[in-house]
Amino acid sequence: MEVKSQIRRTASVAMVALLGLGIAACTTGEADTNLNPDEVSGEISLLTPIFEGSPGQDLLEDELLPQFYEEYPNVTVNVDYTTYGNLNEKLTTAVVSGLVPDVMLMGVGWIEAFADKGVLADLGELGLSEDTLKESYTAEIVEAGMWDGNVYAVPIMLDTRFGVARMDILKEAGYDSPPSSWEELIEIAEATTVRSGNGSLERAGFDMMSLDARQAFETMLFSAGGELFNEDATAPAFNSDEGVAALGLMADMVNKYKVEDIGFTSTDDIVNPLINGRAAMGIAHNNLWTQAMEADPTVLDNLEPFVIQGESSGMFFGGTLATVANNSKNPQAARALLEFLSSPDAALAANEQRGNVPALTELLDSDYVQSNRFVQFAMENLDVAQREGGPSQWLEVRGDFAPAVQGALLGQKTPQEALDDLAALVQTAIDR
Amino acid sequence: MTLPTIKALAISEEITVVPRKRWFHHAKGRQAALINVALTLGSITMLVPFLWMVLTSLKSPAELAQFPPTFFPQEWMFSNYAATLDAAPFGLYFRNSFVIATTHTFITVVLGSMAGYALARIYFKGREAIFLAFIAMLMIPTYTKIVPQFLLVKFMPLFGGNDILGQGGSGWLDTWWALIIPGGLSASAIFLFRQFYLSLPKDLEEAARIDGLGEFRIFSQIYTPLIKPAIATVGLLTFQESWNNFLWPLLVTTSSDLRVIQVGLAVFQQLDNTQWQYLMAGTTMATVPMVVLFIFAQKYFIQGFTNAGIK
Repeated sequence: MEVKSQIRRTASVAMVALLGLGIAACTTGEADTNLNPDEVSGEISLLTPIFEGSPGQDLLEDELLPQFYEEYPNVTVNVDYTTYGNLNEKLTTAVVSGLVPDVMLMGVGWIEAFADKGVLADLGELGLSEDTLKESYTAEIVEAGMWDGNVYAVPIMLDTRFGVARMDILKEAGYDSPPSSWEELIEIAEATTVRSGNGSLERAGFDMMSLDARQAFETMLFSAGGELFNEDATAPAFNSDEGVAALGLMADMVNKYKVEDIGFTSTDDIVNPLINGRAAMGIAHNNLWTQAMEADPTVLDNLEPFVIQGESSGMFFGGTLATVANNSKNPQAARALLEFLSSPDAALAANEQRGNVPALTELLDSDYVQSNRFVQFAMENLDVAQREGGPSQWLEVRGDFAPAVQGALLGQKTPQEALDDLAALVQTAIDR
Repeated sequence: MTLPTIKALAISEEITVVPRKRWFHHAKGRQAALINVALTLGSITMLVPFLWMVLTSLKSPAELAQFPPTFFPQEWMFSNYAATLDAAPFGLYFRNSFVIATTHTFITVVLGSMAGYALARIYFKGREAIFLAFIAMLMIPTYTKIVPQFLLVKFMPLFGGNDILGQGGSGWLDTWWALIIPGGLSASAIFLFRQFYLSLPKDLEEAARIDGLGEFRIFSQIYTPLIKPAIATVGLLTFQESWNNFLWPLLVTTSSDLRVIQVGLAVFQQLDNTQWQYLMAGTTMATVPMVVLFIFAQKYFIQGFTNAGIK
């Protein structure tokens, strides 16, 4: 398995390195702030890692695209569905072969690599500016779609990670509210951890292992007040004192405070341990609310979201953004589709279908957001949310984070050693 | 040791001694029982994940969330299968997978056996070098071949709007050609066939030549009928690999009409949420053809591995 993932990583690096080979000569669209629907025409392709399931496909093809065609009758959209797990391979091979989809939906942290290689159109030249976007979105979220000072993507939906507490369990242990500091987090986690007579763990006080190890570390890093990279993304900053403290706390949770054992939960678990009471607190994705609604609605009242508070506020966001290919033969049609997909109605429908967080601030008042406490919480706290990514090599190096974090949790390396070794790897990739 | 003790031992030996034949039968029976116990345990170990998959496919989301988990469903949700089939055009995906896997198997068995025969039984200059090249090919990881293979497919001359130099169109992308041709024959299949042909006696070939048979008839009428286990082994492995292929069909197709079963199953695995009951129902259905094929071919398949498969 490790060999396979190593091969995948190596191949991924090789594929990203090959990106430049197939990129056709850049063509820039003319700046035009207002599209005339009757003048916009052409056949365009859309590559999407959302809408891939049956309900998503129905939503896109039966509801959203007919609305788009109503507005732009001379445009035809060919949709290519994929999943996030394979989006990188799909995009990279498309780019290498020169057949880049006109509109591509991709994740936070992905824009840098593809913009740097010249794959993405500068949306400023297509009439979308940073200032305009910042009127509708939180600044940090707009910046997730920028590279080198230019706008390359418009956010559609966000995936957030934050702390979640099972208040029924906390109340049994004598606590009325979620922790508001690291000290309280440790105290409550210890108080709510349950072990059987032979010492085996029955309930984790604080679960960090149902989430990808990289994302769990990043949430704790942001909570410690740390950053992933320096300001101009030329060097890693996660091995700073804050980073070491964050990873140190995670390792201590396992080895010193013993509030969770390695292997007690995993990202492959059928259900999140917060839903079935195997954990009292944890770091979770906002769609935990949707999962709980499906699996056990009675638990919803007991799920309380909280920002993990250290020196700073720990909340992480990823998400899906819409981009346009730099060599699109129909840039105006592509821009029209991008604007449509990121418009309030279409974005709201897509978010509702996946249980995600709308990026548009105005959607905070929508019924969907108001009915989903986690989404509402996420939107209310987006100003403290931070994202991953930074350098254009992010896609190459992000796979190295989980093994480094796991190495520290297993006690194979000290947090400082694990992060320093990781930083050296990352720096090599940046300098390459 | 005192005399009475020796006597006592002798007496007890007399009493406890078992006739050799009976002892042999007892020992053989014990050995057989132990082997049966070990095999039963092994079978259970192999069967439990399969059983878990089937049982999971019949549970409700609420039951899947329970802790401790249940083994048998409290409520048998056969409707999960209908919901799975509704989620995507699985009938179409099944058909596509079947066509691709069958074609790959046919190409591999026909051309792979010819290549294996040539490498094993026909002497020609550079034969060893070619064989070494095949061995080297076995060591190249699949992922590193994907981009060059993709480019070959995209720049295929005179297809998909391409000119004679392979420029201007999309080549074989999003066509059956891309799904069938690149995966049609593998170095490992040729290697396996070569090993099987090598294991056959040279006398047959010599007798056939004396009888006036040409090379193709020696291959098709003398040697190949003797390697049925090899054909079953290579055929089954090829079918299985082709049936389970995920990444290549995903990369070279864009239209839903050409998608295969493994790509279809991915719809149940979203970024941070997996619909286990549907995924397991789909996986159970996707497993059926492989199980059926193995049941019919297992006799030859096992022979293939035990007789001359891996030498």
